[in-house]
Amino acid sequence: MDKILETKPGTKILLLGNEAIARGALEAGVSVATTYPGTPASEIGDSLARVARDAGIYFEYSANEMVAVEVAIGAAASGVRALVSMKHVGVNVAADALLTFAYTGTRGGFVLVTADDPSCHSSQNEQDNRYYALLGGIPMLEPANPQECYEMTKKAFEISEKLELPVILRTTTRVAHVRGPVTVGTIVQGPKKKEFVKDPKRFVTVPAVARVRHLVLLDRLRAAEQLAEESEFNVIKRIGNGGRQGIITSSAAANYAYDASRALNLQADLLKLGFSYPMPTEKMLEFLKTHDTVAVVEELEPVLETAVRSLAQHHGIAVKIIGKADGMFPRAYEFDQEIVAAGLSKAFGLPGATGTKPPEVPADLPVRPPVLCAGCPHSATYFAVNKATNKKAIFASDIGCYTLGVAPPYSAADILVCMGSSVGLAGGLAKVNDLPVIAFIGDSTFFHAGVPGLINAVHHGHKFLLMILDNRTTAMTGHQPHPGSAKDPTGATVSPVSIEEVVGGCGVKWLKVVDPYDIKTTTEAVEEALTHEGVSVIIARRECALIAPRDEKGAILKKHYIDQEDCKKCRTCVTKFQCPAISSMDKVQTIDDVLCAGCGVCAQVCPYKAIKEAK
Amino acid sequence: MVDIYLVGVGGQGIITASKLIGDAAIVAGKEVILSETHGMAQRGGSVVCTARIGDFASPLIPDGKADVILSLELLETLRAIPKCSKRTLAIASTEKMVPLSVSTQKLRYPTVEEVRARFEGVSKGLIVVDARKLAEEAGVPMSSNVVMVGALAGSGTTGLERKHFEKAVEMNIPRRLTENLVAFAKGFDAGKGAVR
Repeated sequence: MDKILETKPGTKILLLGNEAIARGALEAGVSVATTYPGTPASEIGDSLARVARDAGIYFEYSANEMVAVEVAIGAAASGVRALVSMKHVGVNVAADALLTFAYTGTRGGFVLVTADDPSCHSSQNEQDNRYYALLGGIPMLEPANPQECYEMTKKAFEISEKLELPVILRTTTRVAHVRGPVTVGTIVQGPKKKEFVKDPKRFVTVPAVARVRHLVLLDRLRAAEQLAEESEFNVIKRIGNGGRQGIITSSAAANYAYDASRALNLQADLLKLGFSYPMPTEKMLEFLKTHDTVAVVEELEPVLETAVRSLAQHHGIAVKIIGKADGMFPRAYEFDQEIVAAGLSKAFGLPGATGTKPPEVPADLPVRPPVLCAGCPHSATYFAVNKATNKKAIFASDIGCYTLGVAPPYSAADILVCMGSSVGLAGGLAKVNDLPVIAFIGDSTFFHAGVPGLINAVHHGHKFLLMILDNRTTAMTGHQPHPGSAKDPTGATVSPVSIEEVVGGCGVKWLKVVDPYDIKTTTEAVEEALTHEGVSVIIARRECALIAPRDEKGAILKKHYIDQEDCKKCRTCVTKFQCPAISSMDKVQTIDDVLCAGCGVCAQVCPYKAIKEAK
Repeated sequence: MVDIYLVGVGGQGIITASKLIGDAAIVAGKEVILSETHGMAQRGGSVVCTARIGDFASPLIPDGKADVILSLELLETLRAIPKCSKRTLAIASTEKMVPLSVSTQKLRYPTVEEVRARFEGVSKGLIVVDARKLAEEAGVPMSSNVVMVGALAGSGTTGLERKHFEKAVEMNIPRRLTENLVAFAKGFDAGKGAVR
């Protein structure tokens, strides 16, 4: 039995924040759960995918976040509970649906999880999605640890139904990817069916309806504020003996503030906001009135700080407020205990840290950024593209493992902004540049946001080559299926959507499908495609090496080795090709037999035929 | 309160190693909090996990505060050195995974002696464990992470008992459990026998 289906109430189990959210949703009787995978949110969907059949819920990896939200809205508007999860930038994709849904409101509980990524551990920006709560007028809860992830998810469904509004559950990497003990309760089976009761004056947001519904939303936000005032998630913790110094904080920052203030032996009160939008105004006013100095500790944007300053000004409270506006706390990157301790020391006039400096990492220590795996078909594709173009092309890249092609030796990414952007960017680049333009997009990303760009390019006659790097999965986030897959996550057969048919249907006249492990054919296809006027498409199709079937020796095709007698030390295999199994140390190039995936690409890369099939 | 700082290379099973520590702590009835690296960084890059046993709210370990550094890859041990103080014990696998930068920029991969020298004077010392060899001897060559958790348990630095860790292995590694318990035991002896 899967751990998150634990049946004995009161059992303490070790759960990732994301798993705790999934468990909370199951205990809330969720009926429909949707997502598009993205770090640091992926394990919410992955956990629910694993147990969906046993738990009797409907789960899908939707084509993108917008569709995920829309599917969940359809279910929740009918009266069942729905959970939709995504990474922070996914909410940008979904925002169009989400912000108007706040006007119609919901019937069944609707919870949207946004997992933010301060420090961009696995993201292209570190936007602060608390602004979405403010922007849309959507109540928001912010858990700080796995137990709270679990409890707040359950509570979020209740609040959503009470207010008939969607609720945002906002985590960050250090909440979503923290593992800790969670004491669980009882799983509740949600209804499988409900009847959508028609109410066009609520759910059809023509202008006349929208104008009325906006007032309804504002009214409900006042009710939401009352819930925040009473919420058990907005608590004051005493540090030491408490006193006239105060800290207002939320989310992961609350953990650092708690540990740091204890380490500093502060005598202070800490107001932790778990139900952070709308803010509990009365509770905060009381806190501001009863403290002389209040430090606002929050990661990224000064959302709480701005609200606190505004409250104090509005009510004429003479409390000293300290935060980012004073430069006491940084506005970029995630916090840790040391950063918060330094900020609190300055805020409360304590002497700075005096401890000895920790030892430093040796300056010449070789770096180890993430790389394309042994046997990665993208590595082969990039080698072929470099060979065909001699790097004399502009490369528009996209979001996925293949973005790692930005690094030498391939340097196969010149511009990247968001999911699906390669296709649109390529059109603009091609209009004003003479160099050939090549766009790279993964299969899942193509389905997610690449198709409208391709339609646009065909219609407007943009001239570029689109390479769809089809590794048959959503690899980077943990190998989730996508619309091109033949099985859904529970193993049931579903209709795979053919990339060729989509490309053809968009009106593309030049299309080739190649196996990137075949360097010669792939190189020739690229050369030919670049002579085509208009949009050309190459689908480079080969299963991700991490999920491809292997033989008993661990090879996808055949393991290889470098014959040292034939090796001419030209280093082509490490300077023009990249494979973690091939290393060059002390002027000797070798293949690690354990790491070798047996793709055979290096044998085609070697100009002296020194790389040979292992016996 | 015990702070364990885990380092390694994506794909080595560092998350499983930290889960073993987490479950061992829960089995022992202690509070624990772990942080993990997921996503892009997992593709063969440097990865970090933390395990904090005791009354901590935050999951990250400040510089100079690790009680133990547990490293699954020799070179990565050096990247953890800012977490050291004189009360830190470092336990490192001798397993080498040569980073791309060594091949392309002709940088040097450090020797065991060089790694050990760096930890001298700034820590309680460095134990090295031939984790891959011990895992192979146990019949589970992919389980060097289990060997290293065994070494951690054997080092006596966690406040947890052998049986707590063994229970955690049972809970997390159902496949080839017997062999994995042997891998754990080999690591345990290596950690226990080491001179500190």
